[in-house]
Amino acid sequence: MEGSALFKRLAIVCAIACILTGCGPSYRWSKSHPLYKQVPYSTLSITGTENAFILTRSKWFAKKLDIDPLKVQEEATKFCRQAFLDEMKRAYPALKQLPDSAVTRFPEESQKIDDRVFIKGHFPEQGVSVMDGGSAPPYILILHEFIIGTDINREVFYDYELIRQESAEKKTSNNLSIVLSYTLWDNENQRPLFSAVDEVQHPITKITKDDLRVAVAEAAKKIRINLYEGANR
Amino acid sequence: MKHISFAILLVVGLAAHALAGDIYFNKHPVLWENPDILIWTPDAELPIDPKELCLSLKRVNSGIGEPKCRIFGEWERDSIAMHYANWLKKNIDPKLGEEYLHIRHPALMAKVQSIEDNIVLYLADNGNKVSVAIFDETSTNPKVVGTVTKTNDKIALGDEIADTFFSGKTKRRLSKEERQKLLDEPDEFYQEVPAFRAWAGVSIGYSQAHIPLTPDDWTESHTKSKVRNYRVTKDSVSLWNFIEDDDPLLSVHVGGIWYGFIGLELIYRFAKHKVKTDERDSVYEELDHWNFYQHEVGLNAMFARSYAIKKWLDIDLFAFLGFQYSFYVEDIALKEEVEKPSKAYNVRIRFEEAYKGGLIGGGAQFVFFKHYGIALRTGISSRGRDMYVDPTPDAAAAPSIIGGSTIDWFASVGLEYHWSL
Repeated sequence: MEGSALFKRLAIVCAIACILTGCGPSYRWSKSHPLYKQVPYSTLSITGTENAFILTRSKWFAKKLDIDPLKVQEEATKFCRQAFLDEMKRAYPALKQLPDSAVTRFPEESQKIDDRVFIKGHFPEQGVSVMDGGSAPPYILILHEFIIGTDINREVFYDYELIRQESAEKKTSNNLSIVLSYTLWDNENQRPLFSAVDEVQHPITKITKDDLRVAVAEAAKKIRINLYEGANR
Repeated sequence: MKHISFAILLVVGLAAHALAGDIYFNKHPVLWENPDILIWTPDAELPIDPKELCLSLKRVNSGIGEPKCRIFGEWERDSIAMHYANWLKKNIDPKLGEEYLHIRHPALMAKVQSIEDNIVLYLADNGNKVSVAIFDETSTNPKVVGTVTKTNDKIALGDEIADTFFSGKTKRRLSKEERQKLLDEPDEFYQEVPAFRAWAGVSIGYSQAHIPLTPDDWTESHTKSKVRNYRVTKDSVSLWNFIEDDDPLLSVHVGGIWYGFIGLELIYRFAKHKVKTDERDSVYEELDHWNFYQHEVGLNAMFARSYAIKKWLDIDLFAFLGFQYSFYVEDIALKEEVEKPSKAYNVRIRFEEAYKGGLIGGGAQFVFFKHYGIALRTGISSRGRDMYVDPTPDAAAAPSIIGGSTIDWFASVGLEYHWSL
């Protein structure tokens, strides 16, 4: 009789453990190369910023930020790009900006991060270093996508089992959200040192351009922290 | 003296080991007999001599036949292949598995797939070592990666490469027609589940009243009961009050399954059960033996799921649910010297003509080479009578019904022959 009571208790413990650890899908959102040892600081360049920024729900943003709906995509992404680069340059004073064409001339490929998470981007060819005016920058941060929206999360964009789901039209928004994907590229050895998909949720009541700036800065900060934490030191 | 020779042996062994190269990973490419080895390097100068490598291969591996070694000019003239070759030179590292050395360029991937049955041997000078990788048509990752110590002696280097990377068992190289046939063959794991599969088999097993993992006292009152005076027991609900429950079982099965999913199975089961006569009762002194032969005929519905584990092995897991009729044939005899049986013998208990009951359980069929099966079955079977009949005026006078509900657990292992349509 005691044995069966013990068994019952064990079963309950297992069930609770399952709920706590989440037997549902769990994601790993970043991937480090085994030889990613040191975070680049003064040798970092950035590319992809010209085309990565995308604004979703542009009509909503146009209304809230009081911008002409025809120009909101261009203006808001320009604003975010600048805020992002400003923040990145604050963190990496020697940051060099490369034109997108440095990598977009290579075919688009997908890179596996987790079982169901893949990022898409342009990666330089094996054996070919990206050149910047006669010299090859040692490390390049390739920004693949920088999606600005409201109440979006990365699962919906990057889990291939969920990407076809349509979300309901919403009237209210609780968060200003940013989903971004990037790769730290070792340009000398042509290998992806660190790739990640990040997400920023910034609570909003009445959205202003300042909210945009804060959220974008937070995204830039996340990149910095993740690049640091991803290194196999 | 013994110690010294052992030490020498150890030193020689260690030296040989140090001389042999390091393998970072090995996914075991096929080593063909009489192979064509295409040597590919990003360096201006080849660290080995192709002819000498061939001789080394023949020295190291007697099964290799007549290897042909040449520089892989087609790839050395191709800029995409050379980009990758240069890249690989920088990226071969003991920490990197094959997935980190994956060829990404589609044009080179296509080239790898058309290597056919040639072996591409990649060599790159990395300072004091020579990096080695082997490619074949089956993968766009290198199949083996490692290093050997660099020496200027091209013969020694060839020996070392041959010893480290080409010492495995060789396989006969297929002719063009054989390769084509192999390509056209369906995948061994791709097979359609047959529309109908039938089997017939016999099995032996064991049954007992006590169902494993249930409390003993569920059955104890029945199994411990004995028969006194040819008919007196504690109760008569279960047949296990009268006869032994733990006996071997023999069964015959004929069945079929549609689409590997739903099936029917006809079974016949036989067992011999001894009556549990109470030996303290002197009335049995006249008795020679008293047994009941249990014959059961049943029909099961089955639900199965098939797993193709190997080309020669399919495993079907199934659950079944069915009904059965049980017949008990009495076999009783008195001792030869007894002339007239006792009164109690004449009014001894009699079982019903037939009992009906159910079967529930599960099992697995391991089918080898599509025909020869080993089946394991376990389950619970019951047999009884409808106890809730309307009382008749002479119910009190009628004999009580024996075996209202008799349950047992069984397990069996059998041999079967399978056919598929």
